[in-house]
Amino acid sequence: MRHQHVWMVPIMIVLGMVMALTPAAHAEVYKLALSLAITGPTSDAGNPYSKGVEDYIRYVNDTKLLKGDTVSCPIRDDQYQTDITKRNFEDFLADGIVLYLNYSTGSTLALKRDFEEEKIPVIPASFHAGNLEDSNYIFLPIATYSSQCIGLAEYIVANHKGDTPKVAMFIHPSAFGRGPVEDVQKAVAAGLKMDIVEVVEHGKDLDNTAMLQRLVSKQVRYVLSQTVQSPVATLLKDAQRLGLIAKQFGEEGKLTFLGAHYTGGNDLIELAGTAAEGYYWTTSYTLTSEPGEGTTFQLMLAKKYGRDDKTANSHNYTNGMMVAQLAVETIRRVKAKGEKVTRASLYNELNAMNGNNAYSPGNTVGPVTYSPTDHAGVDTLQIYSVKQGAFHSVGKPFIPAFVAKIKK
Amino acid sequence: MSANRWFATGNFFSAYRDEQRIFTTHLDRAIFITFLAALFIWPLCFEVSSKYMLVLDNILIAMVAIIGLNLVTGFAGLISIGHAAFVGVGAYTLALLARTIGDSHVIITHAWPLMLLACGAMGAVFGGFVGLPALRLKHLYLAIATLSFQMIFQWTINFLPLFNQGQTIPVGRVFWFTGEVSRRDHYFFWYYVTLTIVVIFGLSVRNLLRTRYGRSLVAVRDNDRAADAMGMHPGLTKVYAFGLAGFFAGVAGGLHAYLYRGVGIESFMLHQSITYLAMAIVGGLGTLTGAFFGPAAIRLLDLQVENLVGWSAQFLPATMNLATALKPLTFGLVIVLFLMFEPRGIANWWRICRVYIKLWPFRY
Repeated sequence: MRHQHVWMVPIMIVLGMVMALTPAAHAEVYKLALSLAITGPTSDAGNPYSKGVEDYIRYVNDTKLLKGDTVSCPIRDDQYQTDITKRNFEDFLADGIVLYLNYSTGSTLALKRDFEEEKIPVIPASFHAGNLEDSNYIFLPIATYSSQCIGLAEYIVANHKGDTPKVAMFIHPSAFGRGPVEDVQKAVAAGLKMDIVEVVEHGKDLDNTAMLQRLVSKQVRYVLSQTVQSPVATLLKDAQRLGLIAKQFGEEGKLTFLGAHYTGGNDLIELAGTAAEGYYWTTSYTLTSEPGEGTTFQLMLAKKYGRDDKTANSHNYTNGMMVAQLAVETIRRVKAKGEKVTRASLYNELNAMNGNNAYSPGNTVGPVTYSPTDHAGVDTLQIYSVKQGAFHSVGKPFIPAFVAKIKK
Repeated sequence: MSANRWFATGNFFSAYRDEQRIFTTHLDRAIFITFLAALFIWPLCFEVSSKYMLVLDNILIAMVAIIGLNLVTGFAGLISIGHAAFVGVGAYTLALLARTIGDSHVIITHAWPLMLLACGAMGAVFGGFVGLPALRLKHLYLAIATLSFQMIFQWTINFLPLFNQGQTIPVGRVFWFTGEVSRRDHYFFWYYVTLTIVVIFGLSVRNLLRTRYGRSLVAVRDNDRAADAMGMHPGLTKVYAFGLAGFFAGVAGGLHAYLYRGVGIESFMLHQSITYLAMAIVGGLGTLTGAFFGPAAIRLLDLQVENLVGWSAQFLPATMNLATALKPLTFGLVIVLFLMFEPRGIANWWRICRVYIKLWPFRY
């Protein structure tokens, strides 16, 4: 009897092995890639951004969010150099990526034609409106810098008491900084009642006394910044030393400082200290200083992968995490439709992310929406202000009205 | 000269003309031709990814630029800290034309060899102009003058709308006899073009150094008053050294613009000038072969450090910041070590190897 069943043993083993290996054989690896500045200029933002992407992808794979399929997302440092970004991009292409995460404004503009030729969807960390010109494959995660600056300008006009508010713009000397100036000017021409008195391109100045005194002498009350944190911190410290920071919004004879996404965050408070009090900032992301569902998840994720408090609370970490969420969600939706995950299917799915298909990652103040004619993700903005060493919401999330008006 | 032109084991020159030969033996010539043939043939035999072709193209373009820098700094002894700006002049010549007539205009896409020459010519004009202070200035003071040019260049490009304020200005795809060079063939195409230019420029400079114009560069470097007394014109020599260096840099800039299909200010900043200088030092100042070794060594070092960082990041993601710091650290360390222990650069190792092989099996 026993001998009659011996022949079944190897068959059972083979069957067992086949069954064990079957899911693995069908498991797909979806390849994404990120090239960004982990060292060099803007690495203070790039560093937590990369960790946000890395942690979320690890989380997706660890928790089997894609039902056995995994996502691979190598992250390369390009030191903010377009030449290196291009090399990284070529390497990623050879590896067969289906979606690419880019970083800087300069490299996004420089590689735009490559993205078009390769027909690969790209989500950059740059929210420069120019990225979307003559481009079909670039998808910005949140509102453009132009929208952010127009949103802040609208806030100034809505809350200013007295005559037409006089505003100066303090910008980074690059495409990243200059981009929104023209759009704010267009908004003014379209009826936004404010005067742009001066546009200052900052250098690496360690003292802004002369500039601040000049602005005050021109009766400027608001300084709208579109740059990174460190020059804003220097500006705020100088204004504090000169006693020029407004205690209330729009205080006469003083300056109220406002800025777009990359000017703010906890890094600014750390750099400027008490001079950051009363600084107005806008972004489309939620902040850990105001706990909610999205921020709780963010802090859990950072803790799970051993990140320090600074990284866990960084809005750039949120930024990276959200971009990874967006990429994974697009993959999930393509899979749910039973389609093969390719560049083309991801591109189509991103373009269909609107109406009932809009995506809410939880850490933004509004849904991510794309369409074939609109590649700016979250249109909604939230204004925050520093109170007692932390950013807190001011008013409700809003969509700047003049953004649509200047497009007409 | 040795009786046997194939296997001479020493330098037995009997006439000055013998000493000036490009190849001292037939074997030298045969090896050079074989090596050159291998450089042209190997991409047809092996599959190379676009990434590595891009790296190779970059190395070759840097070689074109360094041949020029070596002329002005190595042979003529005039320190130039603004070489990236000269490369930028070439690139922006093409970019400006592309911006004016359209990046896919037939002049840009079809007449690209002429465009490269135009880029070189513009580089030469700017080089000659910047070289004028060399008539009055020397050493550190001249270095500051070239640094000033770098700063003026950066400011001009960054602030003038004409140059798109430093943002990328696109340049169209070029055409070859077979039609438009596709994205797939892009890096291979520019490999062959740049390699051809490197060979032509290399041989040209080798020939130049055999002429009185070439020798006057070295004479002015060693002692310009003595050169003057010998009937040379030190001022003219210095200006033409800058002009010639500007020409090579301009061509390199044109190649860079075509390779990247666009021009942005980032590639021509001061740090790039420093990198060029480092390439010239590591390769070996005042030697033609140094202009080939330097770019290859620095670019490959960069790549290897990047690979090391990538490899270590797989195991130590938390220490990624520390790992990426390796790149600037190794770059600085290599320069310092070369300056301390081998100021004559890799070219000197090459010379030692050649002499050793030439005399082998006898002792060096």
